[in-house]
Amino acid sequence: MSILALFFIVVSLLSFVAAQLILKRAMEVSTTSGLRNSRFISLAAIGTALMTVSFFLTLGLLQRFDLSYLYPFQGLSVIFVALMAAVVLKEKLSLRLVIGALLISAGIVLVSMS
Amino acid sequence: MTAYTRNQPERDRRSGFGNPWLQLGLSVACVLVSEFLLKRGATDIAEPDSAFSWTGVNGLASPLVWWAILLIIASFISWLYVLRYIPLTIAFPLSRVVDILVPLGCWIFLGESISALRWCGIGLVIIGLALVAKPIAQIEERL
Repeated sequence: MSILALFFIVVSLLSFVAAQLILKRAMEVSTTSGLRNSRFISLAAIGTALMTVSFFLTLGLLQRFDLSYLYPFQGLSVIFVALMAAVVLKEKLSLRLVIGALLISAGIVLVSMS
Repeated sequence: MTAYTRNQPERDRRSGFGNPWLQLGLSVACVLVSEFLLKRGATDIAEPDSAFSWTGVNGLASPLVWWAILLIIASFISWLYVLRYIPLTIAFPLSRVVDILVPLGCWIFLGESISALRWCGIGLVIIGLALVAKPIAQIEERL
């Protein structure tokens, strides 16, 4: 794997994780302030833009690599999203959830390696 | 679990098609089909020699990619609804059930074999999903 490929994989993963956190925050804002709130609209727009960036980068990577090759990196997103949701969004993250997320990530890596 | 307590007055809206767990299932189903369509579409129009193709934009030349985009938009709308009611720490790990549905679907419907290592991976994901889902089941019973 080239440095360029690794760069696009990392950027795709980071933009996906950031998008999930921002969209979750947007939907939290919508429950208290409604869907016409300017903060909700801006957060939803940023989250959607980041999802779009991640989508096109993944599409570019799929033209060069097998889905099974890229899947382990997608598996890592489970850990990143769970941890960042606890840190950034202050969501409760129990030991059970941490172990569950770790097992899911490890399982995805095994499924794609075999 | 803050989203549950915060949104308890909205329980009436969380039944039938508005049930966030049903929406999570719909979102997963749309992602599952779109993954196959995207891979097929991206392979059909692959231009590995073109630097521009790193952006993936040339993938829009494939009709399969457009079908995948429609499904992704549908799953995105369902996913936003899910995020309104379910904490991300729970909803996101559960959504990755799609990662074992792909090989299981190939095994059940296409007759493809699954190696021992892949079965181990599927087993780990199932145990992980059970660990994440169990507290949810207990909360739903109490509600």
